Amino acid sequence: MLNTEERSKAIQAKIREKAKELLSSKKVDLIIGFGEGTLPLRTTPIFVRTPEEADRLIWNSFCENNLATYLHKLSQFKIGLVVKGCDARSVVALSHEKRFKPDQLFLIGVPCQRMVDRRRVEKAFEGEILHVSEQGDEIIVEGEDFEKTLKREDFLYPCCQVCIHRTPLKADVLVGDPVEESSLVKVHADMEEFEKKSPEERWRYFEKEVGRCIRCYACREACPMCYCTECFVDSSNPKWIDKGLSPSDIDFYHIVRAYHQSGRCSGCGACERACPMEIRLTYLTQKLNQDAKELFGFETGADPDAPPPLSTYDTDDRQEFIK
Amino acid sequence: MKLKLAKKNFIPFLQSLMDEYDLFAPVRLAEGASAYKKIDQPEEVDLSIRNPQKPAKEIFFPQSEIMFRYEKAGKENRITSTEEVKRNRVLLGARPCDIQAFALIDQVFAGKDYTDVYYLNKRKATTVIGMGCDGPLSTCFCSSLNGGPFQREGSDLFLTDLGESYLVELLTEKGMAFQKNKFFEKPTDKELAFAKAIEEKSAVKVKVSVPVDGIEKRLDEMVESPYWVRVQEKCLGCRVCTYLCPTCHCFDIVDEALTKKGRRVRNWDSCLSSLYSQETSGHNPRPTNRERTRQRLMHKFNYFPKNFDRIACVGCGRCIIYCPAHFDIRQTIKEIQKGGDT
Amino acid sequence: MSHMKNPYLPIPAVVKSALVETSDRMLRTLELRFLNEEDAQTFGFVPGQFCELSLFGKGEAPFGIASSPTEKGSLKFTINKAGVVTTALHHLEEGTEVGIRGPLGNGYPMDLFKGKNVLVIGGGFAFTTLRSLIAYFLHPENRNKVKDITVVYGARTPGLLLYKQELAGWEKRSDIKLVVTVDQGDKDWKGKVGLVPNVLEETAPSSENTYAVICGPPVMIKFTFPKLMALRFPNERIYTSLEKRMKCGIGKCGRCNIGHLYVCKDGPVFSYAQLEKLPKDY
Repeated sequence: MLNTEERSKAIQAKIREKAKELLSSKKVDLIIGFGEGTLPLRTTPIFVRTPEEADRLIWNSFCENNLATYLHKLSQFKIGLVVKGCDARSVVALSHEKRFKPDQLFLIGVPCQRMVDRRRVEKAFEGEILHVSEQGDEIIVEGEDFEKTLKREDFLYPCCQVCIHRTPLKADVLVGDPVEESSLVKVHADMEEFEKKSPEERWRYFEKEVGRCIRCYACREACPMCYCTECFVDSSNPKWIDKGLSPSDIDFYHIVRAYHQSGRCSGCGACERACPMEIRLTYLTQKLNQDAKELFGFETGADPDAPPPLSTYDTDDRQEFIK
Repeated sequence: MKLKLAKKNFIPFLQSLMDEYDLFAPVRLAEGASAYKKIDQPEEVDLSIRNPQKPAKEIFFPQSEIMFRYEKAGKENRITSTEEVKRNRVLLGARPCDIQAFALIDQVFAGKDYTDVYYLNKRKATTVIGMGCDGPLSTCFCSSLNGGPFQREGSDLFLTDLGESYLVELLTEKGMAFQKNKFFEKPTDKELAFAKAIEEKSAVKVKVSVPVDGIEKRLDEMVESPYWVRVQEKCLGCRVCTYLCPTCHCFDIVDEALTKKGRRVRNWDSCLSSLYSQETSGHNPRPTNRERTRQRLMHKFNYFPKNFDRIACVGCGRCIIYCPAHFDIRQTIKEIQKGGDT
Repeated sequence: MSHMKNPYLPIPAVVKSALVETSDRMLRTLELRFLNEEDAQTFGFVPGQFCELSLFGKGEAPFGIASSPTEKGSLKFTINKAGVVTTALHHLEEGTEVGIRGPLGNGYPMDLFKGKNVLVIGGGFAFTTLRSLIAYFLHPENRNKVKDITVVYGARTPGLLLYKQELAGWEKRSDIKLVVTVDQGDKDWKGKVGLVPNVLEETAPSSENTYAVICGPPVMIKFTFPKLMALRFPNERIYTSLEKRMKCGIGKCGRCNIGHLYVCKDGPVFSYAQLEKLPKDY
């Protein structure tokens, strides 16, 4: 069994090899993948157009972005997209919504060993982290006057901790050995806590979290499923909500955006990672995803042939709420 | 004049400020999120925060601000402006980068033809207590932009953290008004030397690293460059950079109405929004992220310098830290200086 | 604290009259008079400037001043019904109070025109501030400030022409050469039929000592500009008034910039020589 470091190195080599092949044969116009960041703990999305550039593509525990969000800007190109399990599920959801032509994408699937939560790592240290390297299943973190080894298992993103389908479904190629489906039946740790709360407590928790929202809409832009040319917040006729910091407007925005994700969200966590004010957002979408599973037996992107529940009607649909 | 404030007196000192002024200082909103807020309890103040996400310009230019209230009576309208500042203010703990930014935004909002009274009234009523950075980050590049971790320009009082106490320098007339504060003591020579050492250590950390000389001229030649298509590929247009930038000053004006009364409000806005320049006819002069990213970068490094002889960036590094796609403006500046060579 | 004038506060004005200009009912001219006499006295403007009109609860929008400074006692604005604010302005009754902020912008370079000929080219409902310019120079006090005045004004159909009464009056005058044209005539139209660029070519005004001012839809400008080039008008002597989405109108909110210039403060009137040096951000 390969450890994470060995696995990542092997995957990286395979990604580069595949990218070179796809670009040389002109099967795709460009590859969207990950490249080196300028800061420790970070990678950055890169857009590779020539086989020579393919060596810029990397793979490690910090390849966190959901690259499917770039598809909307580049719909006129044939794209080779590097996807993890969650990203691939977003692609499936987008294909149901006809966001691209069937043969436009070539999915380079990476069976994902779950990404490291860089904010949690940063918070574990007083000083600034200046250098990070991966060794085995550990991360070595160095600062000006400290060096520490962390177990990556202890620092995974919350959404990664509860991710079940970590091997991309319907990828055109897998660049690593499939990861076994997580047998986790435990839900999001916060979800359990949350569900124990009374409605008043839940509302207070929600209000406190989104109370620091600055209406930047990074959550919306980072999300691959938010692609409306005019978002409901920007509509002036009718004007659904105002653009200031009134708490009721902020609450409304987050609730409606979460609801717009019902049956569409892949649980990738891009929204929460993008938020500069570190608002916990994924617990909302996780709850809605859970509801979708319980009410409709539906998991976003898990079955490429299953139609989205909110755009289909079945005579078996539950009706007990209709009085 | 150099005085000292022992940290054991910090809370009563804050209380003494709050008795006379509205106090604004950094507050932790969650483990990793902070902003400048009006202080209700002195215990809320947290000066250990490196640099809050939301910049200090909020004190003078709030994210959402009422400009006036109106009330309809028949066919008439009655307007009440909210430009008056009722109580003098103290801004405590702003870093030199944010304070530099005030001077830049002053140029826009002051102006010889029209004065933005909302902003200027607050500026005039505020005493700025700046704080030196003893632990600048690797993402800080203030020294490359006429700044520095201990730059005192723009501060009325200036703090240096000495561990058990703060060194308090009274720099301007506004600052000198505080010399009688009962919590200030005389610092020892040892403490003064210690402060100097801290300052020197910080200056070394933020060496000039980003080449901005001549960038305005470079950009003059690059208006239609294919570089703009490439540089924005990974940009999500998420606007985090503009909302956290100390020098960004774009805003939107809207009316919020009930039936007979309402108010006119201004809110921060961002040139990166897709609908920012959209005209009612449907025409959008900046239809794609290419034009919008170009606008943002050229405004900071070409248009603003043309109007005010200063680059509209203070090197605070927030855009580098918080960009979800890890756009690094230092890299962009270097690429621009090479004529758009990536 | 000394009291600085707040440039964001609208001055109260009352709707004196309203008139629908065009057959499609999309253009309506509002005549506004200041509620307070001292506001009327201190409001001095130059053709080409604009005002921000406020409808409290709906918002504010910029409109070029269509009346000339020589027409005392009121200000005229021609409103195109397009969005929230303009639709509300179309439903205003006489006697309703609105807010005005202004005069804003730089206006036409009236000093440069002194002693020269002026060629005015207008298309559709972009003619509003051109009306102000022409009416100003036709006033007896100002007529001899400029030499020849030539105007080419076109609309898609006769019903869509603005200021039909003024046009009729001007056509009768000998101190102005007015050519009105339409893209498509109707059974009653006795005047010229032809696109503005072609009619301009036909009219062939001399570019010697002449300043050209052109306002119209982008497609008209696109095809008229080469005709001006052919007539040997240099870019320094061709002026236009630009439109851009605006909010504050005073160069603070950052929205309407073209390069380092703001359409609300350094414009909206620009020469083509100026525009050549700016990014094509409009």
